[in-house]
Amino acid sequence: MTDHPQRPRRRGQGELEALVLSALREAEGPATAGWVQERLGGGLAYTTVITILTRLLDKGAVSRERAGRSFAWTPAADQAGLAARKMRKVLDGESDREAVLASFVTGLGPDDERLLRDLLGQTRSEGDD
Amino acid sequence: MGVFVFLPLVLPLTAWPIARLAELHLHPRTATRLLTAVAVVMALCSTVCLGLLMVVGTAQLPGNPLPDGWSDPEVREAVPYDEVAGKIAIPALLAVVLACGRTLWRHSRTHRRAHRALAGLPRTEVVVLPDEAPYAYALPGGRRGRVMVTTALLSCLEPAERRALFAHERAHLARRHHRFLIAVQLAARANPFLRPLRTAVSYTAERWADEDAAQAVGSRRAVATAIGKAALVSRGTPVPTLAGLAAPGPVPRRVAALLGPAPTGRSWPPVFTSVGLAAWGAAAGAAASAMSSANSAVSMFFILHAATPL
Repeated sequence: MTDHPQRPRRRGQGELEALVLSALREAEGPATAGWVQERLGGGLAYTTVITILTRLLDKGAVSRERAGRSFAWTPAADQAGLAARKMRKVLDGESDREAVLASFVTGLGPDDERLLRDLLGQTRSEGDD
Repeated sequence: MGVFVFLPLVLPLTAWPIARLAELHLHPRTATRLLTAVAVVMALCSTVCLGLLMVVGTAQLPGNPLPDGWSDPEVREAVPYDEVAGKIAIPALLAVVLACGRTLWRHSRTHRRAHRALAGLPRTEVVVLPDEAPYAYALPGGRRGRVMVTTALLSCLEPAERRALFAHERAHLARRHHRFLIAVQLAARANPFLRPLRTAVSYTAERWADEDAAQAVGSRRAVATAIGKAALVSRGTPVPTLAGLAAPGPVPRRVAALLGPAPTGRSWPPVFTSVGLAAWGAAAGAAASAMSSANSAVSMFFILHAATPL
């Protein structure tokens, strides 16, 4: 948890944008403005959060997608990380993912690791020759 | 049709020798194509025969909506042990349909979710995901499919090995290996005797991609070390095997195959070798399956045609 401001105080525009952006980065995926407002501890009005998010959108620092009647916001720099988290969720939810996606390598059996190290060690020495 | 209706249910056993020998003696491309074709033919025939048995089985059920002629003695006499066989065939066919449906459904769901997970990213062929879990997958679909790989896996590979990894995944996409894999999975669901073929094809498809990658990067050793390193770095989940029966798993076998000479491109093995006999045996089994199920289907059609006034 980050330190939530306990009472409202005056902050500069840049500071507010950074606060909103960092709150968004803590989200496990796209977040709504209401979520961001809650996360920031109630020091900001909902409309203020929307204003800041819109300004961040103009700057290209966040992106948004429609989720029902409101928007879900995502930090733009984090698109790849978000995709990685989503993909992990897909893969973890699939009990035998090998059956669906062809993996580069499959798991190793009890003796496989030793065998593999032997084979690779052999290659390395051949490579050194 | 007599006993012919049962043959396609057990003829998959004739493919077991080739499922075992193919990976050692055939080019992985030939092995994948041959085993998939045999598995698909045998699965279709086995399912047709299960359907025919089910027709006999449902005709015995009281209150079935079928025309009365279907439960005539002639229909029932067409199948040996009609009472038992018919009764078993109904749940068996139901199980096959459910299992295949479930496989297809899970397949498309995972496929859809994986594509959705990557939706926010630029439409590049290779997607690098910042993740500490090392993995790489070929994700078919769209115009040419995408290759996804995590930073954790890339960071443990040398440049040549990275090229080998990308070449391997691209080979999966270019050769459409996912179609072979889904075909043998469905076949294994349709008839459990086809499971060794599924295991064999999932291995030979990897070998096929390995060989393609070795050709693309011009180094068998780079592919071998890429596979070895990737397996060692992602060894978090060991495959549960009985310790006493622990034959070398697929990864060491792939690495060993790559460290050996390239397989010859010959498409069909000579007859008088063990692998040649096994291949011909499986082909004969598939042909016998096809003929038995065709024979059974035609006789059933004529019997029903004669029995019902339709």
